[in-house]
Amino acid sequence: MSSTGSAAAAVTLDAVRKTYQVGEPVHALDGVSLEIPRGSYTAVMGPSGSGKSTLMNLIGCLDTPTEGSVVVNDQDVSAIGDRKRTTIRGEEIGFVFQTFNLMPRLTARENVALPMVFRGVGRGERRERAAEVLQSVGLGDRLEHLPNELSGGQRQRVAIARALVNDPAILLADEPTGNLDTETGAQIMGLFEDLYDRGNTILMVTHEREIAEHAERVIHLLDGEIERIEELSGVGK
Amino acid sequence: MNPIESLRIAWRAIRGHKLRSTLTTLGVIIGIAAVITFVTLGTGLQDEIIGDISPDDQQNVYAWAASPENSGQGPLAGAQPVFTLRDANEVGNLSGVDDAYVYTQVPGQSVTFAGQSVPREGGFIATGPGYFDDDDLAEGRRFTRGTNEAVVNPALIGLFEENVTVGDTLTLGIFRGAQVNVTVVGILENSESMSAFEGFAPAPRLYIPADFGGVGSAGEDPRYIAMVAEAPSKSAADIDRTKRVTREYLNSPASDASDRAEGLNFQLKTSTELIAQLEEVLDLLQDFIVGIAAISLLVGSIGIANIMLVSVTERTREIGIMKAVGAQRRDILGLFIVEAIILGVLGAILGTALGLAAGFLVAGYIGIPWVIPWSWVAIAIVVGILVGVLAGLYPAWNASRTDPIDALRYE
Repeated sequence: MSSTGSAAAAVTLDAVRKTYQVGEPVHALDGVSLEIPRGSYTAVMGPSGSGKSTLMNLIGCLDTPTEGSVVVNDQDVSAIGDRKRTTIRGEEIGFVFQTFNLMPRLTARENVALPMVFRGVGRGERRERAAEVLQSVGLGDRLEHLPNELSGGQRQRVAIARALVNDPAILLADEPTGNLDTETGAQIMGLFEDLYDRGNTILMVTHEREIAEHAERVIHLLDGEIERIEELSGVGK
Repeated sequence: MNPIESLRIAWRAIRGHKLRSTLTTLGVIIGIAAVITFVTLGTGLQDEIIGDISPDDQQNVYAWAASPENSGQGPLAGAQPVFTLRDANEVGNLSGVDDAYVYTQVPGQSVTFAGQSVPREGGFIATGPGYFDDDDLAEGRRFTRGTNEAVVNPALIGLFEENVTVGDTLTLGIFRGAQVNVTVVGILENSESMSAFEGFAPAPRLYIPADFGGVGSAGEDPRYIAMVAEAPSKSAADIDRTKRVTREYLNSPASDASDRAEGLNFQLKTSTELIAQLEEVLDLLQDFIVGIAAISLLVGSIGIANIMLVSVTERTREIGIMKAVGAQRRDILGLFIVEAIILGVLGAILGTALGLAAGFLVAGYIGIPWVIPWSWVAIAIVVGILVGVLAGLYPAWNASRTDPIDALRYE
């Protein structure tokens, strides 16, 4: 599954450095180069403060690197304006958060349709596509439920459906099972495996070894640098 | 983002906080309602006054004599009794004048009918038959000069338990306890005032001839406080001519009035001029109220701005989510401005409805017509939109600048 050349990569980071001025400069990421091939399943592990979140924010086009380049689906996002970056974020990135982050007053279907609202997709098409994606994550019977009428696992499925709805280049999951019990967490991991099997590119941040082992490879971060990359054979196909 | 989508999402947010949204719009509601109520009443009052000038009244020139410091004030302000019946006859005979008659208010104490006596401190109106038109009368006829005949209005009849009809005799208690019997010969169609001299409100009124026996008892040379000269037509030229010849006559030594008018100015006003004067006062009052309402609207906008700021903070995480899934700054900006505009417009619509309703009730209560001031309704809606935009601008800008990374971490 490993690939060569950035053309085949969903995301490429080249000598990325992110520095925060907090009294004295702090390097949240210090010269990270990384290639995430299309269709791969990658986990990022590391203690807090190792730069996991910064890495996610940079790949997720929420932030720009101080130095180096970030290329998402062949588009360099390290030196572009907020508007363009927001557009790429909406189209190429699917976020799944630990706390689900659903809009509380919108139904499951409306939550899933939300990313399409900002892309100007018509209402009819949005509703249809949202229902379709919810169906694919096993929530075809919960379309009109509000988040507070759903269980934690169901909410995370809605969030995953929302992340998938624009057919993104990469799915970024930040501790996706952190707020779920073990059994529900396992179900969500099963869903991620399905998505991986269907060809989606997944990057997941976690601090649990067990969860990370669902991936093909694990990137270990320490103090803003890649400590090592571990190739796993568990689910690798 | 499609504006319809902004509307949909903003409306959802407003409905999510019904009580808060209602309280927020209250400032705007009260401001707009106040303006609409008072403008409705003001317009109604003006219509009432203008509606009072029957076509016949429009060709009247009202004359009285007052000291110069009273000039520019309302009808009869500082008027002194200077006119005689002869003056009225002379003016009536001038070429360019159709008819002329004197006008005075006779002090009185009471009116008695069928054993029931009602106080009439306001007195009675003594004038000439020309004061009425035939179509002012619902029943009977105008009084004749030099008789003890009277014309009454329905409000006066309403003071008595027994129904007063044409031919009945009323006993008037005039000054110093004198009692005079008059025969009702005519009943007016309504109780509106018959000229600017009477004031503008409907009231019980009794009219008697100026040369009625009781008036002269004050002296052998009765003087009256005012005179009405009618122009032959409503044309401005005719009215001006009537005014001019009347003034010439009054100022000439030939008039009785000039004997007593030393130090006084003759005031000659057309109905239109008198009304313009009144409208000025009404307009001033209206400006004053609109000013107060503007303050209320300002307070209302601050209320909306304040609640929008709170709402932006409260929804920081939602803003972060929207940005994470591709919402542009302008989408967020639009969303919050639309929300503020909805609040402003909602306040304007509710305020307008409330103002019209209050105007309707009060107009009904004080007996003036209810007129919907359409232009002000339009202004209210525009003001509502403006209030929303102004109040929403800063909070929305604040929201649009929210950093999604911080926002998503926000608890």
